[in-house]
Amino acid sequence: MNILVACKIIPDDQDIQIAGDGSLDFSKAHQIVSEYDLNAIEFAAQLGEATGSSVKAISVGAAAADDSKVKKNILSRGVDELFLIADDATADLDSAATAAELAKLANAADGYDLIVVGTGSADFYAKQVGVHLAAKLDVPYVSGVTKATVNGSTVSCTRVLENVVENVDVPLPCVVSILPDAALPRIAGMKDILAAGKKPMNVSAAEGVAAPAVSTVSLAAPAAVDRKCEVFEDIDSFVAAVKAAL
Amino acid sequence: MKAFVIAENEGAARELCAGARTVADSVVLCVVGAPAITGVADVCVHIDVPAGNIADDAYLSVKSAFDAQGADCIIAENALRPLSLVGRLTAALGTAAIAGATEINGTQASTMYFGGNGVRTANAEAIPAFIVGSGVFDGSAATGTDTVEELAFQAPANAVIKQGEEALPKADINLAAADAIVACGRGFSDEADLQLARDLAAKLGAEVGCSRPLAEGVDWFPKEAYIGVSGAVVSPKTYVACGISGQMQHMVGCNGSEVVIAVNKDKNAPIFKQCDYGFVGDLKEALPALTAAL
Repeated sequence: MNILVACKIIPDDQDIQIAGDGSLDFSKAHQIVSEYDLNAIEFAAQLGEATGSSVKAISVGAAAADDSKVKKNILSRGVDELFLIADDATADLDSAATAAELAKLANAADGYDLIVVGTGSADFYAKQVGVHLAAKLDVPYVSGVTKATVNGSTVSCTRVLENVVENVDVPLPCVVSILPDAALPRIAGMKDILAAGKKPMNVSAAEGVAAPAVSTVSLAAPAAVDRKCEVFEDIDSFVAAVKAAL
Repeated sequence: MKAFVIAENEGAARELCAGARTVADSVVLCVVGAPAITGVADVCVHIDVPAGNIADDAYLSVKSAFDAQGADCIIAENALRPLSLVGRLTAALGTAAIAGATEINGTQASTMYFGGNGVRTANAEAIPAFIVGSGVFDGSAATGTDTVEELAFQAPANAVIKQGEEALPKADINLAAADAIVACGRGFSDEADLQLARDLAAKLGAEVGCSRPLAEGVDWFPKEAYIGVSGAVVSPKTYVACGISGQMQHMVGCNGSEVVIAVNKDKNAPIFKQCDYGFVGDLKEALPALTAAL
């Protein structure tokens, strides 16, 4: 079986600086794998081990996504091969366009039976790329998955929705979006990281990117909330101030 | 403009339909796999889902409802099944939704970016579609004389088969309605110490919530208790942040609070720049002192 896992490579939000004019400065930011996608990679890796399947990662992002440390990070987590489109033409794609590029990679990665995606990316947190990918490939989609077992031509999933838990059989091939609880990311050892450097990394430029349906008009730091910021180290003064305020 | 609202919970349907009225002349509500909701829109398209199918797979029916109604704008609830349906619908229409919209203005919407580190304004070039969380629009403003139109579920060729389901117990927590919230963070090293927060909450008549690590990393809290960008966004009168460092991803969930009180061991914690009253020190000293004094 061929398992794919989609992940997003983005700037680390810890490194985002706010410039004097309120604009966001990403120039000093390291590239990282979006946090919840690490859970998706782990989920795919565990399912790959359980079923004796290959696990390949697919990703689309800006030119900066072609970062040797991040690529090794992905491949040190039980992933056999990476397919990445890294190009500034694919830096600010909406969910539909992202899914269209991922669909190209899914086909380039020598077929797929199961595609795992994370809950949402740290930048937009739209939770839409998985379902758009399923629509693009015309395959079933389920979200909120916490457990998956492959039985021949279907994958049996437990999905945790807001008010109900559903047990479903999903025909393969399909896209499943997992909840972060489904798998906790491993901590890769030095041996895994060294081995990762020798695994195949297929990095390509963007080609024929669809016109965006959604585009960015502006990006800025949020307006600061006005607070008193009275900070105490003496407990009695603190309690007195809180008491007076409430 | 005619808005097509996809929602499954009554509260969300009220809020989204009220919001839809501010941007559109007429409002169609589409409810899939849940009881029809009336009194909030002009038409309620109701799609019943057979026991062996999932609501997410009603996308062919939803697309035909959208086409039949001649709607030109989409607003969807931020819940997993509506997220699947709006994804399939926008994919079929060759567009994509703007998620987490906090303000809608024609074809544009403002959303949080990088967990609240930024605010992004995005423009929909084609049919505008927005995913809206709770609390953005005022549900009490919803009005409608809607008639219910039943529409049959049309299964896709490769339908997901539902084998069974089990209702989740209703979480005994209602952060949205709380006047006061005591929120616990990673500063609690021992689960037993949470009692200190519960004691203070009992004194204040407050609900107890948490930051993400206590609901996802450890299971000390149900996920309904988690306040932050991907959890609950609250605006109580009083917010007591205990052992919470003040990362942006958490603060966007509580920035609307009237008074923010913070207790943290680390005097450099970002929370102290975002609170009204702060105490640098031990939770085990501060919480009982507050409980005793208030």
